[in-house]
Amino acid sequence: MIATMPITGVTLRGLLGRRRTLLMVLLVGLPLLVALLLRVGGNSIAPDEILSPMVVRTILPLVALVFGTAALGSELEDGTAVYLIVKPIPRWRIIGAKMLVAAGLTAALILPASVATGVVAAGVGPGSLATTFAYALAAAVGGAAYACAFVALSAFTGRALIIGLAYTLIWEGILAGLLEGTKFLSVREATLGIAAGLDEAPFGQTPLAFPLSIAIIAVVIAGSFVLGSLRLARFEIRGGD
Amino acid sequence: MTDTLTPETTPTDTPPGWVPVQPSGPVPALAVEHVSRWYGNVVAVNDITFGLGPGVTGLLGPNGAGKTTLLHLLAGLLQPSAGTVTVAGERAWMNPPVYRKLGLVPEREAVYPYLTGREFVLLNAKLQGLADVDAAVDRAVLTVDLAAAAHRPIGTYSKGMRQRIKLAGALVHDPPILLLDEPFNGMDPRQRLHMIELLRSMAAEGRTILFSSHILEEVERLADSVLVIYAGRLAASGDFRSIRRLMTDRPHTFTVRSSNDRRLASALLGDPSVFGAELYDGVLSVRTSDFGAFTRSVPRVARDEGITLFELLPTDDSLESVFSYLVRR
Amino acid sequence: MTASNAPLRASGPGGSIYDLGYQGYSGPRLGRAYAIRALFGHTLRAAYGIGRGGRAKIIPFGLAALPLLIAAIGVGIAALAKQAGELGSIVEESSPIRYAAFSGLISTFVILFCAAQGPELLGRDQRYGVLPLYFSRALARVDYSLAKIAGMVTALLVLIVLPYIVLFVGRVFVADSPVDGLSAELPSVPPLIAQSLLTAGVLGCLSMVISAHTPRRAYATVGIIAALLIPSIVVAVLHEEAFGGLGDYLVLFSPTDVLDGLNAALFDTQPGSPVVLDIDLPGYAYLAAAIVMTLVFIGLTVRRYQKISA
Repeated sequence: MIATMPITGVTLRGLLGRRRTLLMVLLVGLPLLVALLLRVGGNSIAPDEILSPMVVRTILPLVALVFGTAALGSELEDGTAVYLIVKPIPRWRIIGAKMLVAAGLTAALILPASVATGVVAAGVGPGSLATTFAYALAAAVGGAAYACAFVALSAFTGRALIIGLAYTLIWEGILAGLLEGTKFLSVREATLGIAAGLDEAPFGQTPLAFPLSIAIIAVVIAGSFVLGSLRLARFEIRGGD
Repeated sequence: MTDTLTPETTPTDTPPGWVPVQPSGPVPALAVEHVSRWYGNVVAVNDITFGLGPGVTGLLGPNGAGKTTLLHLLAGLLQPSAGTVTVAGERAWMNPPVYRKLGLVPEREAVYPYLTGREFVLLNAKLQGLADVDAAVDRAVLTVDLAAAAHRPIGTYSKGMRQRIKLAGALVHDPPILLLDEPFNGMDPRQRLHMIELLRSMAAEGRTILFSSHILEEVERLADSVLVIYAGRLAASGDFRSIRRLMTDRPHTFTVRSSNDRRLASALLGDPSVFGAELYDGVLSVRTSDFGAFTRSVPRVARDEGITLFELLPTDDSLESVFSYLVRR
Repeated sequence: MTASNAPLRASGPGGSIYDLGYQGYSGPRLGRAYAIRALFGHTLRAAYGIGRGGRAKIIPFGLAALPLLIAAIGVGIAALAKQAGELGSIVEESSPIRYAAFSGLISTFVILFCAAQGPELLGRDQRYGVLPLYFSRALARVDYSLAKIAGMVTALLVLIVLPYIVLFVGRVFVADSPVDGLSAELPSVPPLIAQSLLTAGVLGCLSMVISAHTPRRAYATVGIIAALLIPSIVVAVLHEEAFGGLGDYLVLFSPTDVLDGLNAALFDTQPGSPVVLDIDLPGYAYLAAAIVMTLVFIGLTVRRYQKISA
């Protein structure tokens, strides 16, 4: 753990540059803004009606993508990763530290934003609050899983951002919705399954079972850690000449 | 730069730091054996073998010759396609503990711009697991003469300062082996001299230093021995003067100043060791294919003719001419 | 000082100048129009990674190949359905080879292509400081912007039109006779052209305007996705809670919904987006919005390159 602290610090400072932080705060503030506008217009909706489409399906993967691909990917692209690699520390410590930061930042932004959005949109009645917290927690967990997966992905390719986007938009957006049997391959479905398991299933939908969703998240995080570490252990830096 | 002509000097003198790879004997600090690295059809490093010990060795080669590839192979950043790379007796590839003994100054300019100089060296020190990080950091920053600027973000540094802070980061754990990729890039002459002195003193402490460069004057001044690499192959290795003497198929050129150049020239042309003589613009240049015999003939011929020799200078016994000869073949 | 073998151009006591045969160029120069065409062609090729080695082609060609594949499969299914007679006619009804349904399907690939390649086309020049090289030529700054935009839009047109061609040909031959098929399909051609042009225009120019404002690839990519995804989500959530009738017009600020509405109007079908379905604005509104958006994006891009320091 001792060796991971400096890496965590450097990664954190690298991710929280002014522009990126501003962008991310705006991004997670958007559902809150929409909820405010709804309330001002004199309407209220159930928390899952705003948290599911706006946060889980849209903002969550984007935030996780930005933090996840930048945590390791920006250093590999800039060439500053070499200073972490030529050190007598096992590569899994590097991957672990990066994942910790990316997942942590994602969850740290998503959780309060989701709670605030749900509360503003639906008030603090017991039923609404339960749903709000269920979705917020599920989103934080799902976001952590996304972020870890994207950190591992950026160890494999420099185009992790686009590939991650393609996964989110094409696979999770279209296909997994169409083909029931493949739902277990979608982090989004697992997130929704956790939310439903903590609260109750939204009307007319059949989300994944709760234990299965937890298992999927665990597999994604663990698998990303293992695969990312193995890949980084064999990472080659070519140099210009 | 006058060369002292001592007939006893033989080409086989091994310069300091030069340790040929041997199965039995002291373990060289850096050793590559029949190392190759290819990318598909392109061979970047082609069957290179050498061993290095304490001292400074310069790695020379034109762009694209494979210098950075070789340095990255030594630093464990690339896997050899064939052969072995050994650092302090251990494998370099996929072996993180070896970095306790190795410091690398890479070529790429990028360093974390948002960290101050001191924070960057501190990061390196912590990742190396040093016991007294602050003392080590202070020492390293002082060594590269950046104590005044260490509190500023690296993003504000000039190119030469960035090179120096990279060096500080590579030195903080006091490694016995140091690899530097184009360390003089972006340095002004004063900084370059400072760096040369620094590297020399570190080598005198017993460190093994390998650096790559295009700047031949600095290599000549700093390196005890050179490795010349061209198109992925090792073209020559050792002390550059010895290499020059081994280039027997290329005549040596000398400049002679005497009391009577014209008569000396015609007398020398009668000597079998002399290849050609040229008197142009008041300067006598003599070409010889037999270095040793020539050094014995010239004083004799001059004495026989009653001519006084003022100056005898090898004009192409420089690293530049050696290098240009080797890479032009 | 040894002399070079080259003939002397001038010499004096201190030094000599040798004539190496360098000459000024006094022949015809191809001028501005040629430069613009050359940049356009280069941009079009760069959008597909042509001229940059294998790896650069994977993503653009991959994203272009998938809609083609889907179109081919759709045609195959329709052909089989035809063979199957009555049962087949049910399949044919819901087959994906109706143009309107198809455009909704491939819009995701178009968006990904924009997000992937837009930053590549404009980000590189900004990052590596080559803009001064461009602007010191016959090429004016506005020419640079327009040529780059034209290249991207054309690249998108290729991606959009090729599957439509497959669908068109497929439908012609699946019909009872090719002649019947042709006469049935020909009226679809003008809407198809309009739809393709406007889709390529709106999405292409959006990706260009965002890519022009940042040299970092990751920011531009995320920016493009955010600019498309977020308005549509916001509109979806807010449209019911109208601000009077004005809330309806909110949908015109979301590029994806505008294109969806346009699609529905051109092919006279139900729109895919529930928002557009609810709001039910006339087709001309979407058409106007699409054109205005495209022009605004182009204008902002041109303005960016007029002001950028190079």
